[in-house]
Amino acid sequence: MQLRSTRQSGEDETLGGAGVCVAVLAAPGAALGERTERALRRLGPELRVELFPAARELLARVRSGGVDLLVLEAGRGTEVQRVLGGRSAEDPPALVVAEGADEELALGLFRRGAADCVAVGPDYEEVLPVAALEQIQRYRAALERGAAERRIRWLERLHEAIVEEIPAALAVIDPDGALVTVNPEFSRCFGVAPREAAGRPYASALPADLLASGGVAALLERVAAGRSPAPRLARMAAAGGERAFDVRAQRLDDDGRVLLVLAEVTRTEALSKQVDDLRRYNENIIQNMNSALVVVDLEGVVGYANPAAERILGAPPDRLQGASLWRWFEGALRGRLVERTLREGVRFRGAEGLIVRDSGERVPIGTSCAPLVDGDGVRRGAVVIFQDLTEIKQLQRQVLQAEKMASIGQLAAGVAHEINNPMGFIHANLFQLGEYVQDLARVFEEVQGLRKACATGSLVEVKGAADRVEAVAEEVDADYLLEDCSKAVRESLEGSERIRHIVQDLRAFSHPDGSERSDADVNECLDSTANIVWTMMKHAVVLTKEYQDLPPVRCFPMQLKQVFMNLLVNAYQAIEEAGRGAERRGEILLRTRAARGGVVVEVADDGVGIPAHDLNRIFDPFFTTKEVGVGTGLGLSIAYNIVKRHGGTLRVESEPGARTRFEIFLPRDGGEAAEGGA
Amino acid sequence: MNAPAERSVLLVVDDEPRILSALQRCLRREGYEIVTAEGAAAALRALRSRRIDALLTDHKMPGVSGLELIREVATQWPGIPRILLTGWAAEIAPEELRRLGIRALVPKPWNDAELKAVLREALGL
Repeated sequence: MQLRSTRQSGEDETLGGAGVCVAVLAAPGAALGERTERALRRLGPELRVELFPAARELLARVRSGGVDLLVLEAGRGTEVQRVLGGRSAEDPPALVVAEGADEELALGLFRRGAADCVAVGPDYEEVLPVAALEQIQRYRAALERGAAERRIRWLERLHEAIVEEIPAALAVIDPDGALVTVNPEFSRCFGVAPREAAGRPYASALPADLLASGGVAALLERVAAGRSPAPRLARMAAAGGERAFDVRAQRLDDDGRVLLVLAEVTRTEALSKQVDDLRRYNENIIQNMNSALVVVDLEGVVGYANPAAERILGAPPDRLQGASLWRWFEGALRGRLVERTLREGVRFRGAEGLIVRDSGERVPIGTSCAPLVDGDGVRRGAVVIFQDLTEIKQLQRQVLQAEKMASIGQLAAGVAHEINNPMGFIHANLFQLGEYVQDLARVFEEVQGLRKACATGSLVEVKGAADRVEAVAEEVDADYLLEDCSKAVRESLEGSERIRHIVQDLRAFSHPDGSERSDADVNECLDSTANIVWTMMKHAVVLTKEYQDLPPVRCFPMQLKQVFMNLLVNAYQAIEEAGRGAERRGEILLRTRAARGGVVVEVADDGVGIPAHDLNRIFDPFFTTKEVGVGTGLGLSIAYNIVKRHGGTLRVESEPGARTRFEIFLPRDGGEAAEGGA
Repeated sequence: MNAPAERSVLLVVDDEPRILSALQRCLRREGYEIVTAEGAAAALRALRSRRIDALLTDHKMPGVSGLELIREVATQWPGIPRILLTGWAAEIAPEELRRLGIRALVPKPWNDAELKAVLREALGL
């Protein structure tokens, strides 16, 4: 809004700024009020004139702000005095207008704080705007001046606060290198009191190692020459370790004075060193850990791989990056694990599978996979961690073998007994046969004599020789010997056949599986195991077999035999425990049947049973209810793990004191697909 | 076997018929009658039904073991000498042997001469 006043010269004077407002104290309906308003309107159409009949309303309006000038009619004497008395120094100026007789009064008011006094004469409407404009401009200028002064005072305080409080040492240095002033932080850091600082060469106020390491002299020189050098890092020795400063400088004026800023960054430096160390530490771990770590993008392309990954995958150094992980991760490893993580964000832990190296070598691995998500939560790829399980697999095989040996140890007594019996009678029979041969040799000797007599001798000699044959044959019971000879040989042959069988069965247990599954007849596995185990238990157990035709199962046959053996030994021990000293025989029932997608094998016994509170622990490693030395406590746990490895299930139900039934389900693929083998 | 009344009678017990057969073969000329039983139950039947002068029994048999049979004989017929024929002599505690009054332990497989000597002595021949 602009205010205009028309001077005699006809020039327009304008007043910048918006919302000019004049408050007028006037008697209601008086002609002077109208004239005053009309006169003020000449300053511009937007000027607001507000009329107030009394001091109270007018002062209230002033307090609410935005009023630039008060115009008071002197004729309203007491009210005018109230307004003047109620004003404060910052309030807008008051202009008193007086008609003839009031002039004396007006002068008095003028002395009591009115800014100006205008007589109401014929030229009143020309004079008032000029006087009003002058007061308004003066008031506005004063307002602006006040604001500027306040701003300067504020800036000064700000400057002071910054200089006092900033955690940086500040020094103003004159062109001769003398300190002009320093801030308290400078004093604290370098032990120079502000009062002693002025005039002292900066080089004597700052430690020499700081100046040297930060290249401070060169920095100041460049700044003085009007250039803007990059900040430097300076270090100084201090109690409790080295301190580091960020050093920068700024030219302050044309006289060549320079502001030197030294900000301590010891902690920042330490932190950044820590971050650096941590990064190196992590890098070290990732580089040197035994597990492979591979980061792939959504397409399975390797973005990062550590040396262990190169080692396990058999890839030449630095060739993994950019390669597709699918070259090694095939089948389930790719489809069911990593790709699901990439697609659905699913995490995996400890899944097992096989990778195939370029050399064709197959390596069993255990792998974990987690999605890689960026800061916005968008899936970018996956982190795949895997370990070479070759050694672990070997150890597993060793444990399996050890447990098998332990089970075989338990079998040995029974087997030895089985071998010992035939050995006993074969040995005795051979001894007897030896005697028989001696006896029969005596008969044959006489037969030789008889032959000789027949060839050369007389009838009497022949008769005598025949009698002697008869007598010796009688004496040694030759008829019985000949008959019993073949019986003894028959029985002994049968005994040796039994031994041969036992040895064969045992041998079937002694060699481990290869690393690949093969198709096997589960009935055959079960039956050959049952035969060998039965030798140890036949005096106590009736074994019933109910086998149905089964499809072949992909499996590690020796491992399955181990499962069957462990379950059979377990059943036998349950029967032994139940029937100690009794004449009754226990029963073990073996049953097989084809089931959907696989085969089911049942091993049931009518032994002691398993108490309910032990049922969920019997598959725990080293859980045993037997005396020390009787079992390893691994049998059922190993059986469970083998069945699990074959993708099957092993369940148990038991009625304590009556019976126990184990049921194994084996899928036809023997868990091969789940393992991710190609 | 139709033996004179004064001939001694040996009861031989083993669950393995071939062992019984071999024992008979070995002992056929020893001059005593041999009665065989394929288990403790048959042995006890023989003991109850006729005179027995000595017992030679296997240890590991289905159902009732040789030691249990001997325990029974020791109780009911303490006068009958008891000889254990076993491949597992070491498994039987010596005090158990003493308590059951076991005359001798013959290992299996046995030595014919040794077995014959033990039996002769047991039968007082």
